[in-house]
Amino acid sequence: MGYSGARGGLEAILAAEDLVRRARDHAAAPWAPTEQITARFRLAVDRVMGEAGLHHEDTSAAALRQAEGDPLEASHLVRAHRSRLPRLAVSEPVDPDEMVVLRRIVPAFREPDGPQLLGRTTDYTGRLLEQPSGPPAPAPKPDTEVRERTEEQRRPGRFLDLLRKLDLVVDHRRVDDPEPVDITRTPARPPAERSAALASMARAETGALVALWYRSILGPDGDIHEVTLGEVRHGRLPLRVRHPHTGNPVCVGRFRVTEAEAIEDLDGADEDRSRFDVGYGLCFGHNERKAIAMANLDVANRRFGRTGPLEQLLLLTTDGLDSGGFLEHLKLPHYVTFRSMVERKQAMRAAAEAAEGPRVAEPAGQECR
Amino acid sequence: MTQVVSREQRCGLLADAEPDELRALADECLADGGDVRVLVGPEVGFVTAQIREPVAAERFLLGDVLTCRAEVELDGHRGWAMRLGDDRAAVLAAAVLDAEAEAGRPHAEAVHRLCAHVAGRRADRDDAEWAELAPTVVEFEELT
Repeated sequence: MGYSGARGGLEAILAAEDLVRRARDHAAAPWAPTEQITARFRLAVDRVMGEAGLHHEDTSAAALRQAEGDPLEASHLVRAHRSRLPRLAVSEPVDPDEMVVLRRIVPAFREPDGPQLLGRTTDYTGRLLEQPSGPPAPAPKPDTEVRERTEEQRRPGRFLDLLRKLDLVVDHRRVDDPEPVDITRTPARPPAERSAALASMARAETGALVALWYRSILGPDGDIHEVTLGEVRHGRLPLRVRHPHTGNPVCVGRFRVTEAEAIEDLDGADEDRSRFDVGYGLCFGHNERKAIAMANLDVANRRFGRTGPLEQLLLLTTDGLDSGGFLEHLKLPHYVTFRSMVERKQAMRAAAEAAEGPRVAEPAGQECR
Repeated sequence: MTQVVSREQRCGLLADAEPDELRALADECLADGGDVRVLVGPEVGFVTAQIREPVAAERFLLGDVLTCRAEVELDGHRGWAMRLGDDRAAVLAAAVLDAEAEAGRPHAEAVHRLCAHVAGRRADRDDAEWAELAPTVVEFEELT
Protein backbone atom coordinates (compact mmCIF):
# COMPACT_ATOMS: atom_id res chain seq x y z
CA MET A 1 0.00 0.00 0.00
CA GLY A 2 1.49 3.30 -1.11
CA TYR A 3 -0.34 5.68 1.20
CA SER A 4 2.13 7.62 3.31
CA GLY A 5 1.77 7.39 7.06
CA ALA A 6 0.97 3.69 7.13
CA ARG A 7 2.36 0.59 5.49
CA GLY A 8 2.02 -3.16 5.54
CA GLY A 9 -1.21 -5.09 5.46
CA LEU A 10 -0.37 -6.71 2.13
CA GLU A 11 -1.72 -10.14 3.01
CA ALA A 12 -5.06 -8.76 4.18
CA ILE A 13 -5.31 -6.53 1.11
CA LEU A 14 -4.70 -9.47 -1.21
CA ALA A 15 -7.24 -11.55 0.71
CA ALA A 16 -9.82 -8.76 0.42
CA GLU A 17 -9.13 -8.46 -3.30
CA ASP A 18 -9.49 -12.20 -3.67
CA LEU A 19 -12.84 -12.03 -1.89
CA VAL A 20 -14.05 -9.57 -4.51
CA ARG A 21 -12.73 -11.66 -7.40
CA ARG A 22 -14.23 -14.92 -6.14
CA ALA A 23 -17.64 -13.41 -5.39
CA ARG A 24 -17.72 -11.52 -8.66
CA ASP A 25 -16.14 -13.95 -11.12
CA HIS A 26 -17.34 -17.20 -9.60
CA ALA A 27 -20.82 -16.23 -8.46
CA ALA A 28 -23.45 -18.93 -8.82
CA ALA A 29 -24.82 -17.27 -11.93
CA PRO A 30 -23.97 -17.40 -15.63
CA TRP A 31 -20.97 -15.32 -16.68
CA ALA A 32 -21.93 -11.93 -18.11
CA PRO A 33 -20.06 -11.65 -21.41
CA THR A 34 -19.15 -8.23 -22.75
CA GLU A 35 -21.80 -8.31 -25.46
CA GLN A 36 -24.42 -9.11 -22.81
CA ILE A 37 -23.47 -5.95 -20.92
CA THR A 38 -23.34 -3.69 -24.00
CA ALA A 39 -26.69 -5.01 -25.25
CA ARG A 40 -28.67 -4.95 -22.02
CA PHE A 41 -27.02 -2.16 -20.03
CA ARG A 42 -26.24 0.23 -22.84
CA LEU A 43 -27.04 3.41 -20.89
CA ALA A 44 -24.66 2.42 -18.11
CA VAL A 45 -22.03 1.56 -20.72
CA ASP A 46 -22.56 4.91 -22.44
CA ARG A 47 -22.36 6.77 -19.16
CA VAL A 48 -18.98 5.21 -18.43
CA MET A 49 -17.75 6.07 -21.93
CA GLY A 50 -18.63 9.70 -21.33
CA GLU A 51 -17.29 10.02 -17.82
CA ALA A 52 -14.11 8.17 -18.65
CA GLY A 53 -13.65 10.16 -21.84
CA LEU A 54 -12.96 7.11 -24.00
CA HIS A 55 -15.43 5.95 -26.62
CA HIS A 56 -15.39 2.17 -26.85
CA GLU A 57 -18.37 0.16 -25.73
CA ASP A 58 -16.52 -3.09 -25.05
CA THR A 59 -13.93 -1.40 -22.86
CA SER A 60 -16.65 0.31 -20.82
CA ALA A 61 -18.58 -2.94 -20.52
CA ALA A 62 -15.51 -4.81 -19.28
CA ALA A 63 -14.87 -2.04 -16.77
CA LEU A 64 -18.46 -2.17 -15.51
CA ARG A 65 -18.18 -5.91 -15.00
CA GLN A 66 -14.89 -5.55 -13.15
CA ALA A 67 -16.31 -2.69 -11.06
CA GLU A 68 -19.34 -4.78 -10.09
CA GLY A 69 -21.64 -2.26 -11.78
CA ASP A 70 -20.23 0.87 -10.12
CA PRO A 71 -20.09 3.51 -12.92
CA LEU A 72 -17.57 5.75 -11.17
CA GLU A 73 -15.21 2.89 -10.43
CA ALA A 74 -15.63 1.72 -14.03
CA SER A 75 -14.76 5.19 -15.30
CA HIS A 76 -11.68 5.14 -13.10
CA LEU A 77 -10.61 1.83 -14.62
CA VAL A 78 -11.15 3.13 -18.16
CA ARG A 79 -9.28 6.37 -17.52
CA ALA A 80 -6.37 4.39 -16.09
CA HIS A 81 -6.47 2.16 -19.17
CA ARG A 82 -6.57 5.15 -21.49
CA SER A 83 -3.62 6.78 -19.75
CA ARG A 84 -1.31 4.07 -21.03
CA LEU A 85 -2.48 4.32 -24.65
CA PRO A 86 -0.82 6.56 -27.23
CA ARG A 87 -2.68 9.38 -28.93
CA LEU A 88 -2.59 8.38 -32.58
CA ALA A 89 -4.14 11.60 -33.89
CA VAL A 90 -6.45 14.49 -33.20
CA SER A 91 -9.43 14.25 -35.52
CA GLU A 92 -10.34 16.78 -38.13
CA PRO A 93 -12.90 19.17 -36.61
CA VAL A 94 -16.22 17.35 -36.55
CA ASP A 95 -19.27 19.31 -37.70
CA PRO A 96 -22.20 18.16 -35.53
CA ASP A 97 -24.52 18.99 -38.43
CA GLU A 98 -23.25 15.75 -39.98
CA MET A 99 -24.94 13.70 -37.27
CA VAL A 100 -27.12 10.84 -38.50
CA VAL A 101 -29.90 10.95 -35.94
CA LEU A 102 -31.26 7.96 -34.06
CA ARG A 103 -33.46 10.23 -31.99
CA ARG A 104 -34.24 13.91 -32.27
CA ILE A 105 -36.79 16.00 -30.44
CA VAL A 106 -37.37 19.74 -30.49
CA PRO A 107 -39.41 20.54 -27.36
CA ALA A 108 -39.48 24.26 -28.17
CA PHE A 109 -41.16 24.07 -31.54
CA ARG A 110 -43.80 21.77 -33.00
CA GLU A 111 -42.70 21.80 -36.64
CA PRO A 112 -38.94 22.22 -36.91
CA ASP A 113 -36.93 21.46 -40.03
CA GLY A 114 -36.88 17.68 -40.15
CA PRO A 115 -38.81 15.21 -38.04
CA GLN A 116 -39.59 14.96 -34.37
CA LEU A 117 -38.10 11.48 -34.07
CA LEU A 118 -38.72 9.76 -30.74
CA GLY A 119 -36.38 6.86 -31.49
CA ARG A 120 -35.58 4.50 -28.64
CA THR A 121 -37.07 6.02 -25.52
CA THR A 122 -39.35 5.41 -22.57
CA ASP A 123 -39.86 9.13 -21.94
CA TYR A 124 -43.61 8.81 -22.45
CA THR A 125 -44.07 5.48 -20.70
CA GLY A 126 -45.42 4.88 -17.20
CA ARG A 127 -42.84 3.60 -14.75
CA LEU A 128 -44.08 0.14 -13.90
CA LEU A 129 -41.55 -2.36 -12.65
CA GLU A 130 -41.37 -5.54 -14.67
CA GLN A 131 -40.17 -8.63 -12.86
CA PRO A 132 -40.22 -11.41 -15.42
CA SER A 133 -39.42 -14.90 -14.22
CA GLY A 134 -37.45 -15.67 -17.35
CA PRO A 135 -36.47 -14.35 -20.74
CA PRO A 136 -39.32 -12.97 -22.84
CA ALA A 137 -40.81 -14.81 -25.77
CA PRO A 138 -38.96 -14.32 -29.06
CA ALA A 139 -39.51 -10.83 -30.42
CA PRO A 140 -41.69 -10.43 -33.50
CA LYS A 141 -39.73 -9.92 -36.67
CA PRO A 142 -38.85 -6.23 -37.01
CA ASP A 143 -40.39 -4.22 -39.78
CA THR A 144 -37.84 -4.35 -42.59
CA GLU A 145 -39.91 -2.68 -45.27
CA VAL A 146 -37.66 -0.17 -46.99
CA ARG A 147 -39.09 3.28 -46.38
CA GLU A 148 -38.26 6.30 -48.43
CA ARG A 149 -36.26 8.80 -46.50
CA THR A 150 -34.80 12.19 -47.17
CA GLU A 151 -31.50 13.67 -46.17
CA GLU A 152 -33.44 16.02 -43.88
CA GLN A 153 -34.95 13.08 -42.00
CA ARG A 154 -31.56 11.58 -41.19
CA ARG A 155 -29.64 14.86 -40.86
CA PRO A 156 -32.27 17.41 -39.86
CA GLY A 157 -31.61 21.13 -39.82
CA ARG A 158 -30.56 22.59 -36.53
CA PHE A 159 -33.12 24.50 -34.46
CA LEU A 160 -30.46 27.11 -33.74
CA ASP A 161 -30.26 27.82 -37.47
CA LEU A 162 -34.00 28.41 -37.56
CA LEU A 163 -33.63 30.94 -34.73
CA ARG A 164 -30.81 32.56 -36.66
CA LYS A 165 -32.98 32.86 -39.75
CA LEU A 166 -35.55 34.64 -37.61
CA ASP A 167 -32.80 36.86 -36.14
CA LEU A 168 -33.84 35.75 -32.67
CA VAL A 169 -30.52 34.64 -31.27
CA VAL A 170 -27.44 36.48 -30.06
CA ASP A 171 -24.58 35.82 -32.46
CA HIS A 172 -21.52 34.48 -30.64
CA ARG A 173 -19.74 33.14 -33.73
CA ARG A 174 -16.04 33.89 -33.58
CA VAL A 175 -13.92 34.94 -36.51
CA ASP A 176 -10.71 33.71 -34.91
CA ASP A 177 -10.13 30.03 -34.36
CA PRO A 178 -8.36 29.46 -31.04
CA GLU A 179 -6.73 26.12 -30.35
CA PRO A 180 -8.91 24.07 -28.01
CA VAL A 181 -7.62 23.43 -24.51
CA ASP A 182 -6.61 19.84 -23.83
CA ILE A 183 -7.80 19.26 -20.28
CA THR A 184 -6.15 15.82 -20.21
CA ARG A 185 -2.78 17.58 -20.37
CA THR A 186 -3.57 20.86 -18.59
CA PRO A 187 -6.24 20.78 -15.89
CA ALA A 188 -8.93 23.40 -16.41
CA ARG A 189 -8.79 26.15 -13.81
CA PRO A 190 -10.79 29.38 -13.65
CA PRO A 191 -10.75 31.63 -15.53
CA ALA A 192 -10.90 29.10 -18.34
CA GLU A 193 -11.47 29.18 -22.06
CA ARG A 194 -14.91 27.98 -23.12
CA SER A 195 -13.30 25.00 -24.87
CA ALA A 196 -11.94 23.90 -21.49
CA ALA A 197 -15.34 24.24 -19.84
CA LEU A 198 -17.05 22.27 -22.61
CA ALA A 199 -14.42 19.53 -22.46
CA SER A 200 -14.71 19.39 -18.66
CA MET A 201 -18.48 19.06 -18.80
CA ALA A 202 -18.29 16.43 -21.55
CA ARG A 203 -16.50 14.07 -19.18
CA ALA A 204 -18.01 15.28 -15.92
CA GLU A 205 -19.88 12.92 -13.64
CA THR A 206 -23.50 12.93 -14.78
CA GLY A 207 -25.05 13.33 -11.33
CA ALA A 208 -22.67 16.14 -10.42
CA LEU A 209 -23.53 18.03 -13.60
CA VAL A 210 -27.27 17.59 -13.10
CA ALA A 211 -26.97 18.69 -9.46
CA LEU A 212 -24.96 21.75 -10.43
CA TRP A 213 -27.51 22.66 -13.11
CA TYR A 214 -30.34 22.25 -10.60
CA ARG A 215 -28.51 24.38 -8.08
CA SER A 216 -27.94 27.02 -10.77
CA ILE A 217 -31.67 27.41 -11.39
CA LEU A 218 -33.07 26.80 -7.89
CA GLY A 219 -30.19 27.30 -5.56
CA PRO A 220 -28.68 30.08 -3.49
CA ASP A 221 -26.73 31.83 -6.23
CA GLY A 222 -29.61 33.99 -7.40
CA ASP A 223 -29.09 33.35 -11.12
CA ILE A 224 -32.37 33.76 -12.92
CA HIS A 225 -33.00 31.36 -15.79
CA GLU A 226 -35.96 30.95 -18.10
CA VAL A 227 -35.04 27.48 -19.31
CA THR A 228 -36.31 26.08 -22.60
CA LEU A 229 -34.82 23.10 -24.31
CA GLY A 230 -34.21 23.77 -27.99
CA GLU A 231 -33.19 20.37 -29.21
CA VAL A 232 -31.97 16.95 -28.06
CA ARG A 233 -30.35 14.46 -30.41
CA HIS A 234 -28.77 11.07 -30.20
CA GLY A 235 -26.87 9.91 -33.25
CA ARG A 236 -23.64 9.07 -34.96
CA LEU A 237 -20.84 11.40 -36.04
CA PRO A 238 -17.98 10.60 -38.42
CA LEU A 239 -14.42 10.48 -37.10
CA ARG A 240 -11.97 11.73 -39.71
CA VAL A 241 -8.19 11.90 -39.60
CA ARG A 242 -5.65 13.01 -42.17
CA HIS A 243 -4.45 10.17 -44.34
CA PRO A 244 -0.70 10.01 -43.76
CA HIS A 245 0.08 9.41 -47.44
CA THR A 246 -2.34 11.72 -49.21
CA GLY A 247 -2.99 14.36 -46.57
CA ASN A 248 -6.72 14.17 -47.25
CA PRO A 249 -9.35 13.45 -44.59
CA VAL A 250 -10.43 9.85 -44.25
CA CYS A 251 -13.37 8.63 -42.18
CA VAL A 252 -12.15 5.80 -39.95
CA GLY A 253 -15.48 5.18 -38.24
CA ARG A 254 -18.47 6.67 -36.50
CA PHE A 255 -19.07 7.35 -32.83
CA ARG A 256 -22.31 7.92 -30.95
CA VAL A 257 -23.06 11.11 -29.09
CA THR A 258 -25.91 12.95 -27.42
CA GLU A 259 -26.34 16.62 -28.25
CA ALA A 260 -28.50 19.33 -26.70
CA GLU A 261 -29.22 23.00 -27.30
CA ALA A 262 -30.61 25.07 -24.45
CA ILE A 263 -32.36 28.36 -25.08
CA GLU A 264 -32.12 31.11 -22.53
CA ASP A 265 -34.38 34.13 -22.39
CA LEU A 266 -32.06 37.09 -21.86
CA ASP A 267 -33.31 39.60 -19.31
CA GLY A 268 -30.23 41.24 -17.86
CA ALA A 269 -29.77 45.00 -17.94
CA ASP A 270 -26.73 44.70 -20.20
CA GLU A 271 -28.15 41.91 -22.35
CA ASP A 272 -29.99 41.98 -25.66
CA ARG A 273 -33.53 41.34 -24.42
CA SER A 274 -34.89 41.14 -27.95
CA ARG A 275 -32.99 37.90 -28.57
CA PHE A 276 -32.32 34.53 -27.00
CA ASP A 277 -29.00 33.01 -26.06
CA VAL A 278 -28.14 29.38 -26.74
CA GLY A 279 -25.99 26.92 -24.81
CA TYR A 280 -24.46 23.76 -26.20
CA GLY A 281 -24.04 20.25 -24.80
CA LEU A 282 -22.41 17.20 -26.34
CA CYS A 283 -21.20 13.99 -24.74
CA PHE A 284 -20.27 10.45 -25.73
CA GLY A 285 -22.97 7.81 -25.98
CA HIS A 286 -26.62 8.18 -25.13
CA ASN A 287 -26.87 10.32 -22.02
CA GLU A 288 -29.56 12.95 -22.38
CA ARG A 289 -29.52 14.16 -18.78
CA LYS A 290 -25.87 15.01 -19.11
CA ALA A 291 -26.09 16.74 -22.50
CA ILE A 292 -29.09 18.83 -21.36
CA ALA A 293 -27.41 19.85 -18.11
CA MET A 294 -24.26 20.71 -20.05
CA ALA A 295 -26.11 22.89 -22.56
CA ASN A 296 -27.87 24.80 -19.78
CA LEU A 297 -24.66 25.21 -17.82
CA ASP A 298 -22.83 26.41 -20.93
CA VAL A 299 -25.13 29.37 -21.29
CA ALA A 300 -25.36 29.92 -17.52
CA ASN A 301 -21.58 29.97 -17.35
CA ARG A 302 -21.44 32.57 -20.10
CA ARG A 303 -23.92 34.77 -18.23
CA PHE A 304 -23.05 34.23 -14.58
CA GLY A 305 -19.87 32.14 -14.49
CA ARG A 306 -17.58 34.85 -13.22
CA THR A 307 -19.99 36.97 -11.23
CA GLY A 308 -20.62 34.09 -8.84
CA PRO A 309 -19.22 30.69 -7.98
CA LEU A 310 -20.55 28.87 -11.05
CA GLU A 311 -17.36 28.63 -13.11
CA GLN A 312 -15.36 27.44 -10.11
CA LEU A 313 -17.99 24.87 -9.20
CA LEU A 314 -18.23 23.69 -12.78
CA LEU A 315 -14.50 23.28 -13.34
CA LEU A 316 -13.45 22.11 -9.90
CA THR A 317 -16.26 19.95 -8.55
CA THR A 318 -17.94 18.03 -11.37
CA ASP A 319 -15.22 15.55 -12.30
CA GLY A 320 -16.22 12.26 -10.76
CA LEU A 321 -12.70 10.99 -10.34
CA ASP A 322 -11.64 14.19 -8.60
CA SER A 323 -14.51 14.31 -6.13
CA GLY A 324 -15.01 10.57 -5.75
CA GLY A 325 -11.29 9.97 -5.47
CA PHE A 326 -10.92 12.50 -2.70
CA LEU A 327 -13.89 11.04 -0.87
CA GLU A 328 -12.63 7.48 -1.27
CA HIS A 329 -9.19 8.37 0.04
CA LEU A 330 -10.79 9.19 3.40
CA LYS A 331 -11.12 5.42 3.91
CA LEU A 332 -7.35 4.95 3.86
CA PRO A 333 -5.60 4.86 7.25
CA HIS A 334 -5.31 8.35 8.68
CA TYR A 335 -3.88 7.16 12.01
CA VAL A 336 -0.99 9.60 11.99
CA THR A 337 -2.93 12.69 10.99
CA PHE A 338 -5.72 11.98 13.45
CA ARG A 339 -3.27 11.16 16.26
CA SER A 340 -1.57 14.52 15.69
CA MET A 341 -4.96 16.22 15.98
CA VAL A 342 -5.69 14.36 19.23
CA GLU A 343 -2.28 15.30 20.59
CA ARG A 344 -2.82 18.96 19.72
CA LYS A 345 -6.06 18.99 21.64
CA GLN A 346 -4.48 17.20 24.61
CA ALA A 347 -1.60 19.66 24.60
CA MET A 348 -3.98 22.61 24.57
CA ARG A 349 -5.92 21.13 27.46
CA ALA A 350 -2.74 20.42 29.44
CA ALA A 351 -1.52 23.95 28.86
CA ALA A 352 -4.81 25.37 30.04
CA GLU A 353 -4.82 23.21 33.17
CA ALA A 354 -1.21 24.15 33.96
CA ALA A 355 -1.91 27.83 33.76
CA GLU A 356 -2.76 29.58 36.99
CA GLY A 357 -6.28 30.85 37.08
CA PRO A 358 -8.50 31.69 34.19
CA ARG A 359 -6.93 32.80 30.95
CA VAL A 360 -6.57 36.54 30.55
CA ALA A 361 -6.80 37.92 27.07
CA GLU A 362 -3.65 39.44 25.60
CA PRO A 363 -3.61 43.22 25.37
CA ALA A 364 -4.88 44.54 22.06
CA GLY A 365 -2.23 44.44 19.32
CA GLN A 366 -0.16 41.66 20.91
CA GLU A 367 0.06 38.16 19.55
CA CYS A 368 -1.48 35.34 21.57
CA ARG A 369 0.98 33.26 23.55
CA MET B 1 -14.96 -4.35 -63.20
CA THR B 2 -15.93 -2.87 -59.85
CA GLN B 3 -16.21 0.87 -59.52
CA VAL B 4 -12.87 2.24 -58.34
CA VAL B 5 -13.10 4.45 -55.27
CA SER B 6 -10.60 7.01 -54.05
CA ARG B 7 -7.92 5.93 -51.65
CA GLU B 8 -9.62 7.73 -48.77
CA GLN B 9 -12.96 6.11 -49.59
CA ARG B 10 -11.26 2.72 -49.77
CA CYS B 11 -9.64 3.24 -46.35
CA GLY B 12 -12.99 4.29 -44.94
CA LEU B 13 -14.74 1.22 -46.31
CA LEU B 14 -12.00 -1.15 -45.18
CA ALA B 15 -12.32 0.44 -41.72
CA ASP B 16 -15.94 -0.68 -41.74
CA ALA B 17 -15.33 -4.24 -43.00
CA GLU B 18 -15.76 -7.25 -40.77
CA PRO B 19 -12.51 -8.62 -39.30
CA ASP B 20 -13.06 -12.07 -40.85
CA GLU B 21 -13.50 -10.58 -44.32
CA LEU B 22 -10.27 -8.62 -43.98
CA ARG B 23 -8.23 -11.51 -42.64
CA ALA B 24 -9.42 -13.98 -45.27
CA LEU B 25 -8.64 -11.65 -48.18
CA ALA B 26 -5.31 -10.55 -46.70
CA ASP B 27 -4.29 -14.20 -46.43
CA GLU B 28 -5.06 -14.63 -50.12
CA CYS B 29 -3.08 -11.51 -50.99
CA LEU B 30 -0.02 -12.74 -49.14
CA ALA B 31 -0.24 -16.33 -50.38
CA ASP B 32 1.86 -15.57 -53.46
CA GLY B 33 4.87 -14.80 -51.25
CA GLY B 34 4.99 -11.09 -52.11
CA ASP B 35 7.62 -9.02 -50.34
CA VAL B 36 5.81 -7.65 -47.28
CA ARG B 37 7.20 -5.53 -44.45
CA VAL B 38 5.38 -4.15 -41.44
CA LEU B 39 6.31 -0.46 -41.21
CA VAL B 40 4.10 0.41 -38.25
CA GLY B 41 3.02 -2.54 -36.18
CA PRO B 42 -0.67 -2.74 -35.40
CA GLU B 43 -1.01 -0.35 -32.50
CA VAL B 44 -3.98 0.36 -30.25
CA GLY B 45 -4.39 3.96 -29.16
CA PHE B 46 -6.95 6.69 -29.48
CA VAL B 47 -7.97 9.54 -31.72
CA THR B 48 -9.07 12.65 -29.89
CA ALA B 49 -12.44 13.79 -31.21
CA GLN B 50 -12.31 17.49 -31.94
CA ILE B 51 -15.69 19.17 -32.33
CA ARG B 52 -16.55 22.49 -33.89
CA GLU B 53 -19.62 23.39 -31.88
CA PRO B 54 -22.37 25.35 -33.64
CA VAL B 55 -23.06 28.20 -31.18
CA ALA B 56 -19.75 30.09 -31.42
CA ALA B 57 -17.99 27.92 -34.06
CA GLU B 58 -15.38 27.14 -31.42
CA ARG B 59 -13.42 23.92 -31.38
CA PHE B 60 -13.25 21.78 -28.24
CA LEU B 61 -11.96 18.30 -27.46
CA LEU B 62 -14.88 16.03 -26.69
CA GLY B 63 -12.86 12.99 -25.65
CA ASP B 64 -10.97 10.09 -27.14
CA VAL B 65 -12.11 7.32 -29.43
CA LEU B 66 -10.35 3.97 -29.20
CA THR B 67 -8.68 3.18 -32.51
CA CYS B 68 -5.92 1.03 -33.94
CA ARG B 69 -3.69 1.54 -36.95
CA ALA B 70 -1.05 -0.25 -38.98
CA GLU B 71 1.13 0.40 -42.00
CA VAL B 72 2.79 -2.13 -44.29
CA GLU B 73 4.82 -2.19 -47.48
CA LEU B 74 3.92 -4.77 -50.09
CA ASP B 75 6.06 -5.10 -53.21
CA GLY B 76 7.29 -1.55 -52.67
CA HIS B 77 3.83 0.00 -52.13
CA ARG B 78 2.74 1.31 -48.77
CA GLY B 79 -0.62 0.44 -47.32
CA TRP B 80 -2.16 2.18 -44.31
CA ALA B 81 -5.22 1.44 -42.23
CA MET B 82 -6.98 2.76 -39.15
CA ARG B 83 -10.22 1.51 -37.63
CA LEU B 84 -12.19 1.95 -34.42
CA GLY B 85 -11.67 -0.56 -31.65
CA ASP B 86 -8.71 -2.69 -30.72
CA ASP B 87 -8.61 -5.48 -33.31
CA ARG B 88 -4.93 -5.51 -34.27
CA ALA B 89 -5.23 -8.40 -36.71
CA ALA B 90 -8.07 -6.71 -38.57
CA VAL B 91 -6.24 -3.39 -38.95
CA LEU B 92 -3.07 -5.14 -40.11
CA ALA B 93 -5.09 -7.06 -42.69
CA ALA B 94 -6.74 -3.83 -43.86
CA ALA B 95 -3.32 -2.25 -44.35
CA VAL B 96 -2.29 -5.25 -46.48
CA LEU B 97 -5.43 -4.83 -48.60
CA ASP B 98 -4.77 -1.12 -49.02
CA ALA B 99 -1.26 -1.92 -50.28
CA GLU B 100 -2.60 -4.68 -52.54
CA ALA B 101 -4.98 -2.24 -54.18
CA GLU B 102 -2.40 0.53 -54.30
CA ALA B 103 0.10 -1.78 -56.01
CA GLY B 104 -2.47 -3.09 -58.48
CA ARG B 105 -1.49 -6.60 -57.49
CA PRO B 106 -3.49 -9.70 -58.45
CA HIS B 107 -6.12 -9.31 -55.72
CA ALA B 108 -6.69 -5.58 -56.19
CA GLU B 109 -9.99 -6.26 -57.90
CA ALA B 110 -11.06 -8.43 -54.96
CA VAL B 111 -10.27 -5.52 -52.62
CA HIS B 112 -12.48 -3.26 -54.72
CA ARG B 113 -15.23 -5.87 -54.60
CA LEU B 114 -14.94 -6.08 -50.82
CA CYS B 115 -15.23 -2.28 -50.61
CA ALA B 116 -18.35 -2.36 -52.78
CA HIS B 117 -19.76 -5.12 -50.59
CA VAL B 118 -19.13 -3.08 -47.44
CA ALA B 119 -20.77 -0.02 -49.01
CA GLY B 120 -23.80 -2.12 -49.94
CA ARG B 121 -24.05 -3.57 -46.46
CA ARG B 122 -23.84 -0.09 -44.96
CA ALA B 123 -26.74 1.01 -47.19
CA ASP B 124 -28.74 -2.06 -46.17
CA ARG B 125 -28.14 -1.29 -42.50
CA ASP B 126 -29.25 2.30 -43.05
CA ASP B 127 -32.42 0.98 -44.67
CA ALA B 128 -33.09 -1.43 -41.80
CA GLU B 129 -32.36 1.25 -39.21
CA TRP B 130 -34.75 3.73 -40.79
CA ALA B 131 -37.41 1.02 -41.11
CA GLU B 132 -37.29 0.69 -37.32
CA LEU B 133 -37.03 4.40 -36.59
CA ALA B 134 -39.60 5.79 -39.02
CA PRO B 135 -42.66 4.60 -37.01
CA THR B 136 -41.43 6.73 -34.08
CA VAL B 137 -41.76 10.01 -35.99
CA VAL B 138 -44.34 11.99 -34.04
CA GLU B 139 -46.49 15.05 -34.51
CA PHE B 140 -47.82 16.10 -31.13
CA GLU B 141 -50.97 18.15 -31.16
CA GLU B 142 -51.15 21.49 -29.44
CA LEU B 143 -53.90 21.95 -26.88
CA THR B 144 -55.53 25.27 -27.59
